[in-house]
Amino acid sequence: MGIFNRASEGQRTKPVSVDVERGALVFFARTIQETNPVHFDPQAARAAGYADVIAPATYGAVLLMAAAQEDGRDAHALIGADLRYLLHGTESYEYHAPIIAGETVHVSTKVERFWEARNGRLEFASLRTAISHVDRGDLVTAQRVLIHQLR
Amino acid sequence: MLKHITAQIGDELPQVVFGPVDRTMLALYAGASRDHNPIHIDIDYARNAGRPDVFAHGMLSMAQIGRVVTNWAGLGNLREFSTRFTAVTPVGALVTCRGRVVARLEQKGEPLLKIELSATIDDGTVTLIGDALVSIGEACGR
Repeated sequence: MGIFNRASEGQRTKPVSVDVERGALVFFARTIQETNPVHFDPQAARAAGYADVIAPATYGAVLLMAAAQEDGRDAHALIGADLRYLLHGTESYEYHAPIIAGETVHVSTKVERFWEARNGRLEFASLRTAISHVDRGDLVTAQRVLIHQLR
Repeated sequence: MLKHITAQIGDELPQVVFGPVDRTMLALYAGASRDHNPIHIDIDYARNAGRPDVFAHGMLSMAQIGRVVTNWAGLGNLREFSTRFTAVTPVGALVTCRGRVVARLEQKGEPLLKIELSATIDDGTVTLIGDALVSIGEACGR
């Protein structure tokens, strides 16, 4: 009856502090072939009114991974994910304020729920991650559904 | 003023085409995204897991779809962005990312456009569908 760790349902990780490093953010922006310089050129970012380069739209996923690694665990160890069978089902973001290089953010993930389909051959886990700043409040909220595709 | 302020329902956003996806791109994306799952970068691991080859991170395609929206509307106007991954993207795929304005609505007093999004690979498989909400209110040209 599935391989996710069902006992983790409802658990929330303690908030992990992650430094939003400019170099790492720029490397990500370059890798996804971002063309808007607010994501890789500090001067362009300042000209647009930001203190430094800002994160592209999907950077929340990177901070989620970074938080887990800072905490000395794999991002999906909490739910007992088996990477051999793991697929990404959905990913959703709500945006409240920009994520800016040079800041420290706090990242906390809650295990929402588990469910199954196709007589248990598909097993689902839903996670919600909040990324916030101590003064600026919530920046980005992310929700993802992960799937075990079992044979 | 950004073009999206005057957009009409049915308008298509400029496409983003990326690829063909190669193994170097997947290795770089694994490092840049900190998603080190070996299923995307280690063919031995992928074969042991019963797959013919490694396949691209879904988030790599979502990043490209994100560029379709933010190049057009500006990140500062993006309110919500959701995707569903409908098929894996194999090595060698050329990925075409599209967006289309489908509705006008209001949320918390703010006028918004709803954008329907998709990624399609060159054999016609749709690998990702999604939508985004962008503000057409107090638009900041970022």
